[in-house]
Parts: sequence; structure tokens; C-alpha cells
Amino acid sequence: MRRPAKTCPVCESGVRVLDYKDDRTLGRFLTERGKILPSRLSGMCARHQRQLATAIKRARQLALLPYIKGYVG
Amino acid sequence: MARRYETVYIFDPALEEPAINEKLEKFHAQLTRDGKGTVANVAHWGKRTLAYPIKKKDSGAYVVAQFEAAAELLPEYERAVKLDEGVLRFLVVVSEGLPAKPAPAAAVIATTEEEELEEDEA
Repeated sequence: MRRPAKTCPVCESGVRVLDYKDDRTLGRFLTERGKILPSRLSGMCARHQRQLATAIKRARQLALLPYIKGYVG
Repeated sequence: MARRYETVYIFDPALEEPAINEKLEKFHAQLTRDGKGTVANVAHWGKRTLAYPIKKKDSGAYVVAQFEAAAELLPEYERAVKLDEGVLRFLVVVSEGLPAKPAPAAAVIATTEEEELEEDEA
């Protein structure tokens, strides 16, 4: 059985551009290890998923988000 | 051609506000040279904990500056910032017209998304 297509949470909220400085929103789209959640799980449309990926990568450079969560070297 | 850019600086947490402002002025002087650019917006976020240590520091003072400048001014400006020991890290991007401080748009997505995710895990 096919599940009905999920609607993009970002489109629904009316946000057009995801902000790389907004680590609290971006943090919602990370796995518990800090990987980017695939659109399969996030339900995001292609455009926003692409935006999300760049935004998260920028946020990582700025130490707003971790590259790996819960890693103790 | 002049474009809108945005820089996020992470300063050494040991620096005080006046020292940071002094450095910012020095950097921004590069951008406003010969009237080829204008700095529109400077937002201080204050000290924040870093997600991972940078140069053995666990926190940093974040400052976001939005400006318009001719592209040819950037290499020299970036060089000046890079050479400054007080800057732990910085990022220059073409501005997408977003506010300099993180917006509360966060809250909207946060709530709708959380429900959906839980559903999926089940």
C-alpha cells in the first residue's frame, strides 16, 4: 500500500528561504547523530531539501550545528 | 558590480565589545573604500557556545554584518579578516535577504515537523 504523499513542512509554514543562521529550525532536520535527514523522512519538497542541505552545511562551518553529534574524541 | 553580502564572524570570546567593534570598523573600512560599498546592518548575537571547539575555544562572540559592495573589494577584505587572530572563523555569503538575527520562523516549522516525525518512527 502506498502512503499518501507527505506535504513539505517548510512550504506549509510559509517560509520561502531557509536561514542557515537559524540553528534551532535546522536542528529539527538532523538525525540523532547529526546527519541531514533524508527527504524521505523529512517529507520535504525537492527545493526545500536542497536549501536545507546547504543551510545545514553552512551552519556546520559556523559551529552552529555539529558535524557529528554525541562524539567524544 | 555591487552585490549584497552577509558575513558571519566568530570572534575570540576573550575579546570585549569595544575591541570587537574596533576590529569590525577596520574590516568594514576595506568595504566602504572609495564609496564602493555600504555596510547596512551589524547585529551582535553575543557569546554563544560552539557546537564543536575551534582553536581550542568552546565559545565565541557572533557578529553578523550585511553590506553591499563591489565584488573586487572582497578578496582584500577577506584577507584582512583571515589574518586577524581575534577571528576564530568567518563566512561570507551572498545575502538572501534574510534578517541578521535568527527569525522566530523557527517555531512554526518546529511544531508541525515534530508531530510528523514521531508518526514516521512508529
